[in-house]
Amino acid sequence: MSVQPDICFHCGAQIPVGVVVEKQVEGATLRFCCKGCLGAYLLITGAGLSSFYTRRDTEEAGVGSNAYQAGFDDAGLAAFVRHSGHSDSIDVIIDGIRCAACVWLNETFIGRLDGVEQVRVNYATNRANIVYDPSRTTPATLFARISELGYLPRPYTRSAAQESADREQRDLLIRFGTAFFLTMQLMAYSFALYAGYFQGIGHEIKYILQLFSLLVTAPVIFYSGWPFLSGAWRGLKNSAPTMDLLIVIGALSSFLYSIYATFNGGEVYFETAAMIVTLILAGRLLENYAKRRACSGTERLLGLTVGTATRITGEHQEQVAIADIRTGDILLVGAGERFPVDGRIQEGSADVDESPATGEPLPVLKQTGDRLTAGSINLTGTVRIICDHPAADSFVARVARLVEEAQNRRAPIQGLADRIASLFVPGVLLLGLGTFFWQYRLLDNPLETALMTSLAVVLIACPCALGLATPTAIVAGTGAAAAAGVIFKGGDILERLSSITVTVFDKTGTVTCGTPQVQEIRPAPGIDPLELLTLAASVESGSLHPIARAIIGHAAESGAAQRSASGLRTVAGGGVSGMVEDSPVLVGNERFLRECGVPELPENQTTSPGGTMVFVARDGQYAGSIMLSDSLRDEARDVIAYFRKQQVRSLLLSGDRRETVQFTVDALGLEGGTGELTPADKTVRVEQLRAAGETVLMAGDGINDAPALSAADVGCAIAGGTDIAIETSDLVLARPDLSRLVTAHTIARHTMAIVRQNLGWAFIYNLVGIPLAMSGLLTPIYAAAAMALSSLCVVGNSLRLTVKRYV
Amino acid sequence: MYDSLILLMVLSLFLGCGCWLFFVWGVKKGEFDDLERPKHRMLDDDDEEKGEKK
Repeated sequence: MSVQPDICFHCGAQIPVGVVVEKQVEGATLRFCCKGCLGAYLLITGAGLSSFYTRRDTEEAGVGSNAYQAGFDDAGLAAFVRHSGHSDSIDVIIDGIRCAACVWLNETFIGRLDGVEQVRVNYATNRANIVYDPSRTTPATLFARISELGYLPRPYTRSAAQESADREQRDLLIRFGTAFFLTMQLMAYSFALYAGYFQGIGHEIKYILQLFSLLVTAPVIFYSGWPFLSGAWRGLKNSAPTMDLLIVIGALSSFLYSIYATFNGGEVYFETAAMIVTLILAGRLLENYAKRRACSGTERLLGLTVGTATRITGEHQEQVAIADIRTGDILLVGAGERFPVDGRIQEGSADVDESPATGEPLPVLKQTGDRLTAGSINLTGTVRIICDHPAADSFVARVARLVEEAQNRRAPIQGLADRIASLFVPGVLLLGLGTFFWQYRLLDNPLETALMTSLAVVLIACPCALGLATPTAIVAGTGAAAAAGVIFKGGDILERLSSITVTVFDKTGTVTCGTPQVQEIRPAPGIDPLELLTLAASVESGSLHPIARAIIGHAAESGAAQRSASGLRTVAGGGVSGMVEDSPVLVGNERFLRECGVPELPENQTTSPGGTMVFVARDGQYAGSIMLSDSLRDEARDVIAYFRKQQVRSLLLSGDRRETVQFTVDALGLEGGTGELTPADKTVRVEQLRAAGETVLMAGDGINDAPALSAADVGCAIAGGTDIAIETSDLVLARPDLSRLVTAHTIARHTMAIVRQNLGWAFIYNLVGIPLAMSGLLTPIYAAAAMALSSLCVVGNSLRLTVKRYV
Repeated sequence: MYDSLILLMVLSLFLGCGCWLFFVWGVKKGEFDDLERPKHRMLDDDDEEKGEKK
């Protein structure tokens, strides 16, 4: 077998051993990982779009190998269609878009389909809006064509929350645009005034310029600055001074001072007031964009949750929405599908992957009468199940309720900037009062001078640098994180992540790979281990069972050539039998081999916790066994060592057996671990830790982790985990690689270091500016220059985060 | 003497307002929703024939 990994010409994924599909094109042989990819290739070149392969610019394989399986029907999609006039439109998330060429391919290809009137693909969100003529095509046809291309389409509906987030973003953009435009006008007047300050200016013209300045500044403060004004008011009402209040005090004090100066002679600070609002709006806008990018990133990671199920009534099969399933309904669940509700098997048997629900890594055989949990995956045969609970009461729904409860209990955390503001605002006001007192009483200055001097102190003390310190650093930090494959769902999460004291890991799928790996090969006397592996791999070649895939993968790695096997037969919960080179071969568990009449099986061999033995027999004779277990991730040890160095304790909470958990704890050098926990237990443990004053990071991937993820200060889900875990977490690792958690933590720490530097800089600016203002020496021109300089310093410092390469 | 100056300043404000209204119209129409795709769009479409020849 080749040592160099084979790369599929179409999708770029590694070609699994033994499944290569070849195609001769003009003398060259192109290799594909599956028929789906070959089909997609033929479709693309057939449509004259083969320049896609030269245009595209991507390094990573995207869509999972089972992406081609989803079926679409018009009844299920009808709910997503919007009608307008004689044409319909539908919003689709197209999974697998990774570069501009993918967007081009989809737009061009869908646009040419019969009946399609318009198609627009949003590169940032992977969302396509397709307008079509319902009399000539149907949504299901469109979906089928997109999936033929090799992309995975999913219907998309805007939730009310997203809708309002979109509106808010547009609103903010208009407010910023207005502020920016007016500030530009204002700067023109200000420059004229600056020139006048140095070269002398007539009183009348100065007055006119100042009046115009007042005219353009007022909307900046009261329209563009409205979010700050209302935020400051809310803060005052709750007697919790926030950053908003600081901004408002700064802007309003310079605005009011300037109005006074306009009518009584003196220099104006209008541009300071307008700049504060404009620059801080820019910071908010950037922060919002970063957040939206993160949201669309997680949207893309979410899989297709089962929206419909196949119900059997008499001889009749129909697709029904999951919400319509009633207790006692009989459903048909095929191989590879998720069970939509909790139920019992009525007919058939199948190996079921329950790891999303329980954390148990190996599939479990379920036979007639056995209970099934919603969310687990049917791996082998089609089964009929009877629904025990309607979907609203299923295991997944109960977990979703736990998540909601945990989220409601979580108190909002005050950010660093707001904490500083709550000390700073009273301080600044006191300083202003003190200045007034000093000037008026001690220096015997007129009331007017004293008042103006104290206002100048307040406005100098509230610089934009302070408002820009956090947002710019956070935008730069989340941007760097996104490039490193870490998606932060908000800026405050960086702050919390940088101060964690305990990390809680889930076991299956988080510190372990979540799929079994071959650990040991024990051939019977006289049999070559490689030969044993070859036999097992040849018979298992057609199976989707994780154990079969592990054996095939291991065989390829160790160079065992696969031979063609015939007459393959799978027994759910048992094993596989087939013919390899005229000799019958059995691969399966002990019971399966015994039932097939193989004598002389070795007595119970010792297995490590969580391990499984697969037995192999040839010609009715025992040939050896292969031990598999869910192996630890290679990087897990380093990650835990890193956290120990950072003085962060690491704990393990798992739903798996106690011995297995203890084994993992010892192997990884964790500080403790508990097994046999239900989702609610995990949540309680996390909440206990938080009550003890710890800041908790929880990393997990299963349905059973979701409540604990939302209960923790920072919940971290891993790509490839269950949807509910990704949805409820604050931070998502975009690749199943635990070392990105270290990257995330490093970026968070660096970002917070930058924020502190920025705040420190703003403070130094105050230290110099306030005494000048108090003595009445500061003139507007120097105040404006100092402000611009300090803002530039803060932005430049934040940009350092984007220059550094993580990963 | 200041009349012409004031006239020009008011005029510039009106001109600016025109641009501002244009911007607001653009935002409302959703022109700023996707900032990535348009810069690639100009590179598309015209070299499809090349793809066919390949």
